[in-house]
This record gives sequence, structure tokens and C-alpha cells, in this order.
Amino acid sequence: MIRAILRAQWLSMRTFRLASSRRGAAFSLLTGIIWYGFWAFLAVVAEELTRSAQLREKIQAGLPFGLLGVFAYWQLAPLASATMGASLDLRKLLVYPVPRRALFSVEVMLRITTCAEMLLVLAGASAGLLRNPAFGAWRSLPRVLPAMALFVAFNLLLSAGLRSLLERLLGRRHIREVVVLLLVLVSSLPQLLAISGVPMRHFRQLFSASRNPFWPWVSTANWLLGAHLGSGAAVLAVWTALAYAFGRWQFVHSLRYDVEEAQATAAGAKEPSWTERLYRLPSLVLPDPLGAIVEKELRTLSRTPRFRLVFIMGFTFGLIVWLPMALRGRPAHSALFENFLVVVSLYALTLLGQVTYWNSFGFDRSAVQVYFSAPVAISRALAAKNIAAAIFIFLEIAAVAAASTLLRMGISPAKIAEAFLVTAIAALYLLGLGNLSSVYYPRIMNPQRVSAGGAARRTQGLLFFLYPIALLPVLLAYLARYAFKSQLAFWAILALAAGLGAAIYAMALDSAVHAAHRRRETILAELSRGEGPVVAE
Amino acid sequence: MLDAAPAIAVHDLRKLYGDNAAVDGLNLVVPRGCFFGFLGPNGAGKSTTIRMLTGLIPPSSGSIELLGMRLPEQELEIKKRIGLVPDESLLFDRLTGAEFLEFVGRMYGLARPVARERSRSLLDLFELLENRKLIAEYSKGMRKRVAMAASLIHHPDLFLMDEPFEGVDAVGARLMKDILTDQVRRGATIFLTSHVLEVVERLCDRVAIIDKGKVVREGSMDELRGGTESLEDVFVRLVGADREFHELEWLK
Repeated sequence: MIRAILRAQWLSMRTFRLASSRRGAAFSLLTGIIWYGFWAFLAVVAEELTRSAQLREKIQAGLPFGLLGVFAYWQLAPLASATMGASLDLRKLLVYPVPRRALFSVEVMLRITTCAEMLLVLAGASAGLLRNPAFGAWRSLPRVLPAMALFVAFNLLLSAGLRSLLERLLGRRHIREVVVLLLVLVSSLPQLLAISGVPMRHFRQLFSASRNPFWPWVSTANWLLGAHLGSGAAVLAVWTALAYAFGRWQFVHSLRYDVEEAQATAAGAKEPSWTERLYRLPSLVLPDPLGAIVEKELRTLSRTPRFRLVFIMGFTFGLIVWLPMALRGRPAHSALFENFLVVVSLYALTLLGQVTYWNSFGFDRSAVQVYFSAPVAISRALAAKNIAAAIFIFLEIAAVAAASTLLRMGISPAKIAEAFLVTAIAALYLLGLGNLSSVYYPRIMNPQRVSAGGAARRTQGLLFFLYPIALLPVLLAYLARYAFKSQLAFWAILALAAGLGAAIYAMALDSAVHAAHRRRETILAELSRGEGPVVAE
Repeated sequence: MLDAAPAIAVHDLRKLYGDNAAVDGLNLVVPRGCFFGFLGPNGAGKSTTIRMLTGLIPPSSGSIELLGMRLPEQELEIKKRIGLVPDESLLFDRLTGAEFLEFVGRMYGLARPVARERSRSLLDLFELLENRKLIAEYSKGMRKRVAMAASLIHHPDLFLMDEPFEGVDAVGARLMKDILTDQVRRGATIFLTSHVLEVVERLCDRVAIIDKGKVVREGSMDELRGGTESLEDVFVRLVGADREFHELEWLK
């Protein structure tokens, strides 16, 4: 049965690949090479660090922390990037007499989609240890292999359980926003504690191998290095068993979870009139069809769980960065602090990209045909979607700026204006590229699901390499300000960046419009396609 | 001159996917004010034809004229006068029915107050006015009703409809049929596909049956039936015989 499910998924993906354009496949290949190339490089670094006999003591001290890093990335990165990887579409599979054990096995295997990069790093570290004479070199194979395998199994099982739990919590109306806030708080807890004055040695003691041999990363390290072999293996086995029980328990709960019931609106529910007025504001200044599309985008995006999650993350991460500083009093006037509002604004701009401009038609799915069947130029649709994205980005900046002002962070109106202006200029480059990406690489996004799939994460990974390039003109303006200590240099380069950005945006929009006409059939097909038994957006 | 032209004139229309012809040299003329049924088995090329007529996909070759205007040259002018109910949902799930209709009205150039007023009237007509839920929570039949209402909001001259009655209950289907009949009475043209042959038989003046991308029969309803057969008999005879399922021993 497992093979049947995986084969159905393979066939679905194969059909999709055949139908999609070569350009899309090339883009997918490129993202894969860059993303996994980066992690392969880190794997080589891990191999280099762990194979030297001279580094024996450093390896003994550092390996638990390295494994802690792997554990943290494995469990937290999917949350921080809102990309929890592929998962079974249980609605399609529950009608068949498939044992729960089989479904759970597939679900656990699918967790590899969120952590293939960690497997690379662990493989690199294992290879290094197997070549290190200080730890027995190849003779340690019977020890290293099962230790690594069990550590991987522990992480897979735990992430399967966490994913099921979070997917349900984040799928519930009203609860999901609270959960996001809690997640953000938890993930920024170390920074909060560090800034609030808790000495770092307390952290080191908490995670130190000698004092706490019961942590899974410590027991794994002990097993790998041959120290406390029996206890290390036993502790890790207990952790893995606990992770298995947790994963199964959460998975069984998810089988009974009805996403539509959890997200249903109350009968006759009506939004407050002030939101209705807000939605209509753009139509006061924009003529139809531009105004109509912007209004529609504001309504649909603000009601989309996935968008709301990302929007809240952008806002709260921004605030949480500020809050510890407020608690501690005014920090020194470092360059980073002085420009923090700009940094937070650019962060919001990049984060919102995944649910707005990089794939503008993703949430519309098959309804994208409205833009092709109505008497509206596609350039208007793209421009309107860009305007809507810009409105949300500016709302995010306004919210962070307002909160910072309330916290008496001493942000001047000039700094707030600078943040808006710089973000607007950077947005010209990113929206231009986003329009091209939206028509050349459209893909369906499920508005009900709060997270994206594994491929989306890889794409985001690539985008994080591209962002610095797209933001380069703006960064050059700041470089000029600090290199020449001149406001004039800053504003002059910023003006140049704005002019260049406007030209690039116009050219990219024009090119995207032509591509949309040429590729409309592919776009419609991509955004109307069905999915296999595994949801991997 | 334009008003004298047929509602749809298609000449040697082809749509190729690699070596496979989804539509293979289609010739079709649909007169104005006609209720036209476009029938065919699954995969015959009906939806592909409608998609080409609406400009959603470009043809590989051939010509299309709608309401006397050529596609794609006069695409925007044509689109203004077409009402579309496609097979794939064109509804935005995160809008309410009222918001969606108002949006569509504005996309077709109606002023907001007009679009809102028509949206209310249509929702009232389709018994959806009191329903303030998002379209994502609508049933299949309710979604079809909204799609039908959206095709009416700008008062088009030509309706292109792909299985408009699919999933709609008997009351809703009756209402939709009455509205469409009334539209034909005022001079509009309906071009629809449906697998419910009884409905086509009752509503349509003319019918074309398509198989493997080619029209295999076209004519008025009386011409097709020849006075003795039902439309279903004609359809089955033209596009395929009864399948012999008794050969499957394990199914007995």
C-alpha cells in the first residue's frame, strides 16, 4: 500500500513535470542546485571539522552543540519559514482501507522533505568521524551508523508529530494567530533572555554535555564518539520511542480533524463595517478595473490563513526585535540600531513576497481565468496585485513604526519616512522580478493550508540568495552614507536607485505581460491542476 | 453589419497538443438568438473549444469570429459581450457571493453602484442573498449558481456555458433554464455543453455533436432525431456503441 501511494504521487508529479514548461523545470533544477549545493558545501565543512585527530577534544566539546543545531534547524526552520514540507492529503486516502500504520510511515518519510539538507550535513559529519583515527576510524562504523540512523529517526518522528499538531492548531480560526505569536516568542526566547541580562554561561550549562547527558543531542554525541556508549544508546532509544508515541498520537488526531469545520465562518457572520471601509479605500483613488482588483486582493488576502500567518510573522518578528531593546533601555547608537526600522521593513518586504508578488496568481488557482476572460488588460491585473502587495507591506511598516513610537524608541519622523521610501524603492526591483516569476513559474497555493511545501522552502532558499542582489542599489546608498559620511551621497544614490528601479519595473512588467499572453494556456493549466495523494505545493 | 453576422462562426479550428488533436478542423456556425447545444463524449474537445472561443487558450490554426468580430484581433470588445460559465471554477474562494458579483461587474466596466445593485438582485434571484459565507464554504450547486449569476451581470449578448447545470438541484436548474430561455427570447445566444441530454433536448433549437475533435452531426433538433429516435439514441449511435461489460467475469 505504501508503494501504491508513493507510486501515485510519483505519477502525479511526472504528469505535472511533463505538462509544465522547460523553463519551469530549469528554474526548479537551478533552485535545487543552488540550495542543495550550499548545504553540500556545509557537509564538506562538517566532514573537514570532524576528521582531524588533532581536533579530538574540540570535537568532543563541539559535537553536542552541532547536533543541537541540527535538531533546532530540523524542528524550528519549517516553523520560522512557514514551509512545513509535503504531507499526505488524508482526504484523498481515508476512503481506502489503508492501515493507519502505513499512512503514518509515509507521513514520517515525507518529513525528509523538510530536512534533506540536514541529512547532507549529518552525512558529512559521519564521513569525517569514520576517517578520524582518534575515534577508531572505519572500525567505528558499527557505532556511528546506528547512532546517526536513530538520531535521524528521532528527528523525523518528532517533526511528524509537531507538524500534525501545528497544522491543526494553525488551521483553527482565532487560535492560529495566538499560536503564531507564541511560536515567534519561543523562537526569539534566546535573544530575549540574552538581551535581558541572563549570563550566557547559564545557557552553556543548560546544554553542556557533562552536566546534561540526557539531552538527545548529547546522548547521540556520546554514542558516536564511543564515550558512555551504553547509556548514550539507551537514552537516544528512549527519546526515539517517545517521539514515535508523540508522532503517532498527533497523527491519529489529525485523521479526525476536519479543516473545513475548523475554518468555517459563523452563519450570517458579517465583517465589521470599518474593515469594509478600509477595503474600499483604494477604489476612491484608483479607477476600475485597477481599483476593483486591488479591493478584491485586499479582501481575499486578509482572509487567507496562509497570508495572515506570514503577515503576523513579519509584524511580530519586527516587534520582538524591538521589544528587548525597549526593556533594556536605549542601546548604543550602532549603525544597525539606527537603521533598524529599515531592516525590519525590508524583512517584511521579503517575507511577504512568498504569499504575494513571487507567485501573484497562486491563491487565485483556476479563478485566474477571470483575468484572461474579462475585458481587462493583464497588465492592469499585475499592477493591481503589486499595489495590493505594496499596501500590505506599508501597513506592516506602519504597524512596526507605531509600536516602536509607543515604546518610546526615539524613532524620528524622518527615519520613518526613510523606511517607507527605501522599502518602496526596493519593492520596485522585487515586484518587477516577482511579476516575471508569477507568469513564468506559476504554481497553485492552497489558501487553507498555513504552510508551504518542501519545494517552496527550496525556492525561498534561492530567493534569499537573490534578495541581496535585488536590494544592492539600496544597500549601495547606505554604503555611500557611511563611507563618505554624507547625506547628499546617500540621497543621490537613492534617487538613482529609484530611477533605475522604476525603469526595471516597467521593463519587467512589459515583459511579464507579453509572457502572460504567450503562456496563458500553461498558466491556466498550472493553476488548475489536481494533486496526487501527497500535498507538496 | 455586425448584428447580421452569426453569433459564432468557426472555420477549420484546430488545437494540437503534440501529435494529439483535441479539436481537429472544427467548422461551426451558430446563428444569433439560438439556443445551441454542443454535445460530445468525455474528451471529445468541447471544453477546449469553449476555451478557445473565450480566448483562454489560443488555437493552433483556424479562425474564430464572435458577434461579427474576429478573435484575437478584437479580443477586448468580444469579451465585453460574452457571459462565461466555464468548467473550471472561476470563483475567488475568499470572497462572499455578493463581493464576487460586484467585482465581476466592475471588471466588465459597470460603475460600482450599478454592479452592487445588480449583484443584490441576482443573489436574491438565486436565493443566495442571505448567505454571507465565503464562496469556499459554498456547495457545488451554490458555486454554479454564483457562476451563472456572474455571467449575467453585464447583460451579455452571447453566453458560453460548460456544463452549467452540473451539481445544481432541481429548483435551481429550473430557475437557470427559465433565465436562459428568457435571454434567448430577448435575442441573446446560448452556446452550452451538457451531458444531460434530456435538458438539451428540451431547451436547444440546434445541436452539434462532436467526437474526437470533429463535428459528426449538426442540425436542428428535429433534423437530428428524424422523428423516431431520442437525442440519446442518436448520440450513442454516433459516438459509440454499448460496451460489453459482461466479459468481466470477476464483476459478476
